[in-house]
Amino acid sequence: MATTETGGAETAFDWFGFLARWGTLISLVLLIAFFSLARPEVFPTLRNTLNILNQVSILGIIALGLTVCLVVGLFDLSIGAMATFGGYFAARFLAELGMDSAWVVLGAVLAVLILAMLIGMINGALVSYLGISAIVETLAMSFVVTGVILGVSGARTVYSSDIPESFQIIGQGAILGIPNPILIMIATALVLWVFLEHTQPGRNMYAIGGNREAARLSGINFQKFALIAMAISAACAALGGLVAAANLASGRPQGVGETYLLNAFVAVFIGASTLRPGKFHVFGTAVGVLLIGVINNGLSVMGVATYWQYIVQGLILILALISASMNSVRRA
Amino acid sequence: MTAETTELTRPEPAANATPVLEVRGLRKEFPGTLALDDVGLEVRKGEIHALLGENGAGKSTLIKCVCGAYAATSGEVRIEGRPVSFSTPREAVDAGIAVVHQHFNLVPTLNVAENLWLGEALPRRMGLVDWPRAHARAREILDYVGLDVPTDADVTALRADHLAMISIAKAVASDAKIIILDEPTTALLPHEVETLFAQMRRLAQEGHSFLYVSHRLAEVFEIADRATVLRDGRNAGTFERETMDRASVIEAIVGRRGELSGRKSGSHMRESVVIETAGLSGGGAEDVSLTLRHGEILGVAGLPGSGAEDVLSLLFGRIRRRAGTVRKGELELRLREPSEAIAAGIAYVPADRLAEAVFHAESIRSNITMPSLARYLRDPILRLVNRGAESRESRQVAQRMRVRMPGIEAAIDDLSGGNQQKVVLGRWLSTGAEVFLLNAPTAAVDVGAKAEIYELIEELAGEGAGILFASTELEEYPLICDRVLVFFRGRVAGELKGDAVTEQNIMTLAAGGELAHGDD
Repeated sequence: MATTETGGAETAFDWFGFLARWGTLISLVLLIAFFSLARPEVFPTLRNTLNILNQVSILGIIALGLTVCLVVGLFDLSIGAMATFGGYFAARFLAELGMDSAWVVLGAVLAVLILAMLIGMINGALVSYLGISAIVETLAMSFVVTGVILGVSGARTVYSSDIPESFQIIGQGAILGIPNPILIMIATALVLWVFLEHTQPGRNMYAIGGNREAARLSGINFQKFALIAMAISAACAALGGLVAAANLASGRPQGVGETYLLNAFVAVFIGASTLRPGKFHVFGTAVGVLLIGVINNGLSVMGVATYWQYIVQGLILILALISASMNSVRRA
Repeated sequence: MTAETTELTRPEPAANATPVLEVRGLRKEFPGTLALDDVGLEVRKGEIHALLGENGAGKSTLIKCVCGAYAATSGEVRIEGRPVSFSTPREAVDAGIAVVHQHFNLVPTLNVAENLWLGEALPRRMGLVDWPRAHARAREILDYVGLDVPTDADVTALRADHLAMISIAKAVASDAKIIILDEPTTALLPHEVETLFAQMRRLAQEGHSFLYVSHRLAEVFEIADRATVLRDGRNAGTFERETMDRASVIEAIVGRRGELSGRKSGSHMRESVVIETAGLSGGGAEDVSLTLRHGEILGVAGLPGSGAEDVLSLLFGRIRRRAGTVRKGELELRLREPSEAIAAGIAYVPADRLAEAVFHAESIRSNITMPSLARYLRDPILRLVNRGAESRESRQVAQRMRVRMPGIEAAIDDLSGGNQQKVVLGRWLSTGAEVFLLNAPTAAVDVGAKAEIYELIEELAGEGAGILFASTELEEYPLICDRVLVFFRGRVAGELKGDAVTEQNIMTLAAGGELAHGDD
């Protein structure tokens, strides 16, 4: 029981394996250390830490949902449009109702999330039952959703004067000094972590992502889980957009979700080369999101021009992907 | 092919007896195994030469050494008397060796002419491709091999024998000295095989030489001028057309081993029937009626495409059933999806472990418990998995299956093939399976693990499970099966029991022959 048959040399330290697992976490620690030494009075403070977390919370919520989709091996490019959808419609519903009550807000939020899930399930159905490529289908769906928002809104923003206070609290309030968006991100992460790692549906999703045919031969229904995964992805994107709308106190019909789409993919793919190379997982995504937050905040605290943020972020993603591919090459 | 050539060159008549391809003393070692040991082969000009042998006998290794995909450890390859050695497949092509693979190396998105020109410099006119000339040349080549299809036809729309002929045409046009055909008839219907053979014969008469690799003995007897048989990486006989009789060729292929041993522990077969089919048809299987008893190990054997494997797929709901019924006890099973088969107590081990059985990058624990996760749930709504119970169960299974592993949480990819296979087999111990459908359960597994897997199969039978067993290695049937159904062209061609379960008998029935004596 104690020996492995794979044998091989146990002499040389496995640098590829080590970096594939720990590379992104090491980069995160090094970046934090670097910024802390460079700007000790600004960067490593509680206030700035909360600031970083607050800045990445919306990206985090969206990226966490996307993680579930990628676990079953499906790309979801509609998350940008779905984020805009969530923000705009939550604000618009509440503006139309014109009542400032916690219950009405809760009802509107739930209604938006359920609508988003339905759209996600349409994505899932088209992709799994008809076998359409998920990339193309979700891209098409994002056009449809964007068009619907523009049509309904007439390209007009819902302004803060029309948005009830109790909705704005979602994005602006804090509990025990911790801003609500951070708490929502942490709650999303916990729920999805338990779901993916500790429930039967979550485990079945990993099986599908690992080997779809083997999953089918183990009695796992791909269609059902494609529906669930895309519904979760769409709902998280809408939740992220909704928190953004509450934070800014405006329901913008365009230009909200696009900014998150690419960053969410970057974060999730950085996550897939963290600790468990080649696997998408909640902890990894959290590390990816934090890495993006620390780079952006740290460089701006140091007064470096914005374009550096893009360059550094891109380089770290490339390094993460290289280490992940090294690992798979080695395995093959 | 080249744009300049206007006339297709017929090979010069066989002036001397120098073989087109000659292999001498070829030896190929892989770490831990000797794949080829002092192998010789000789293909004469204008000859169709068959290369025969079981899976693992060394046929494909030999071909890979000849066409430059592998470097031989020692030995010599000569083309028209000149010794050659290749470090890349391209060099072998330039030296006149063309290999036509099972799937004919055609690109489905390109048309016939584009496929014929693939890998060659297209004719140009003022820097641009001269398509009229390219098509005209393609037409000439197709006419030369006697293939009447338009040069702008979509290759996906063509018949399988046409595809084979296009590949051969490509080889002929590139001035190949020898054309190696690797299982060219696998995808062909009987009448397509006929037309392919007719054209091959004509080309051979005109001086082209073929090395023909096939499992299908009947075809070999029909087409081959001579045959070389490999067994366990060594030459096991060369036959001239006159001396080529079925019995001696089969004996050369399987050797004498088949007679050596029967089952170690005797049969565990009981009276009660566990599963029964009537008139089952689907995939390549036609009208199969079989009865599997508790504790019985029933083999289904046949050449690739004979329908034997499809019986397993049908019983697991993996492929659609056209007709017939499946009964388990009183229940008639619907079997539209594998999930329904699993619920009915049926387990399945697919032939391709890495592509169809292993959950990559997942732990051994996960790989064992995936089909039985529902058993470890804490609650029916959130469906939280009780990790403790799951770990205990997976450890027990791993121990029982004698999986050698660093730990239950290690990634499955880190195990050897044999241990991976034990995990794949073990995952069905927790689903309450009573019927095990095992398709080549010892494929790509080392000898030690093979013996262990046989033992585990025997144990399952001893506990009353019914086992349906298929393998590409005929020698396995006599080792573990109580009874074997041999398939030929989709139907059960014969049943072998007890001492009649021999490699020779299976091979004879699988090739469409008749047994000399009764089968019981």
